[in-house]
Amino acid sequence: MKSKITTVMMVLLAAFITLGGTTSCKSKKRLAREAAEAEYKSRVEQAVKDLNAILDDETLWSLEEKEARVQTIKDWNLQNAEVDDLLFQVEKKLARERAQKDEEERRAAEEREKANAADVVLGRNFNNIAHASSVSQANRIINETLDMFESPNVPVLIIIKQNAGFNDYDRPTTIEQYLNYVKDQKKATEKVHEIKYNNSGKINEIELIKR
Amino acid sequence: MKKIIATLVIALCVVGSAMAQDELSFERKQAIDSLALEKVRDLSKYIKIVGSKETPFSEANRVIDRAEELFMNDAEIGVSSLGSNKITYYRVRKYMEHLMRLNYDRVEIEWYNIEYVSDLQRQPDGTYVGVITIFQTFRGYDKEGNLAYKDTTKKDITVYVKRKETQIGGRTIGFWDVLLGDMRVKETTNR
Repeated sequence: MKSKITTVMMVLLAAFITLGGTTSCKSKKRLAREAAEAEYKSRVEQAVKDLNAILDDETLWSLEEKEARVQTIKDWNLQNAEVDDLLFQVEKKLARERAQKDEEERRAAEEREKANAADVVLGRNFNNIAHASSVSQANRIINETLDMFESPNVPVLIIIKQNAGFNDYDRPTTIEQYLNYVKDQKKATEKVHEIKYNNSGKINEIELIKR
Repeated sequence: MKKIIATLVIALCVVGSAMAQDELSFERKQAIDSLALEKVRDLSKYIKIVGSKETPFSEANRVIDRAEELFMNDAEIGVSSLGSNKITYYRVRKYMEHLMRLNYDRVEIEWYNIEYVSDLQRQPDGTYVGVITIFQTFRGYDKEGNLAYKDTTKKDITVYVKRKETQIGGRTIGFWDVLLGDMRVKETTNR
């Protein structure tokens, strides 16, 4: 009798565990589905919000950050019509921005290259003027050098000392006077620090620094 | 009483701070010291160019303009000679024109031992004033190439360095303006 009761109890317990487990599993699946739905809904909302902000230029993100954000949203693969439409518009906008930025960077690189080239040419010419064998030879190089400038009156700033981001300058002069100074003093003790150009590619301001 | 002391302390702090701002750092002071010395060396080159009989007239005139710009408006340059105790002072342009017309076939002018005898000191108006001494050896040669005259003169030049501002390309540029004052003859010898 005792053994029968034990057997019945065991069967009941097993049935209870089995039934309880099934109910719990169903509940977990439901919860997981609900969580996934909530996650999807939240991602769609976030995607719409971010994409609209990018379209309306309401973010402080850099172009690279915006591109990364778009890639994340695409990776979510939301398959939502509104998000897909916004993605299409944003990608077009970012492509335009990318092209513009690339063009600006190309121009800046060109300017840097030009400035470096001018830097080298000017440094060489200053030296050749200082060590010219005659006044006429020095004057010929001066005239060649002046061709690189907007006018003989282009201002020349000479930094005598740089200290904690602060420049101490000598009295400003003009490029024509500076080149003649190099000729008279037979020394080129300054090097090019910064060059500014006009739209025709001629130098319209130059900063030199004492070596 | 406490209020008076507190006010005095604040006032002293403000004055001290203002004075500290006026004081140049050692490096910046060194930079303007060098700049003033360089201007005197530049002048020595200009005098050499103007004095040289090989310098074309147009070049000499251009250099005179540059030399004049180194000086204050009313600055004078002293001229002495071994044959006389008299020292004549000329305005810069007159001195340069006089130098250009010296009656020698060839002229050599050398400046050396260019150094401060009195360091640049800040004046109440913010101008830094100092005195630089130079030794000038003058040699004049005749047509035959013989040395006709030679003397060595010690001269003191007062230098003024003032902070000024100008507008360039829409920017305000602060710069140090070095101007030379009178160039006084201290001693002339036949060495």
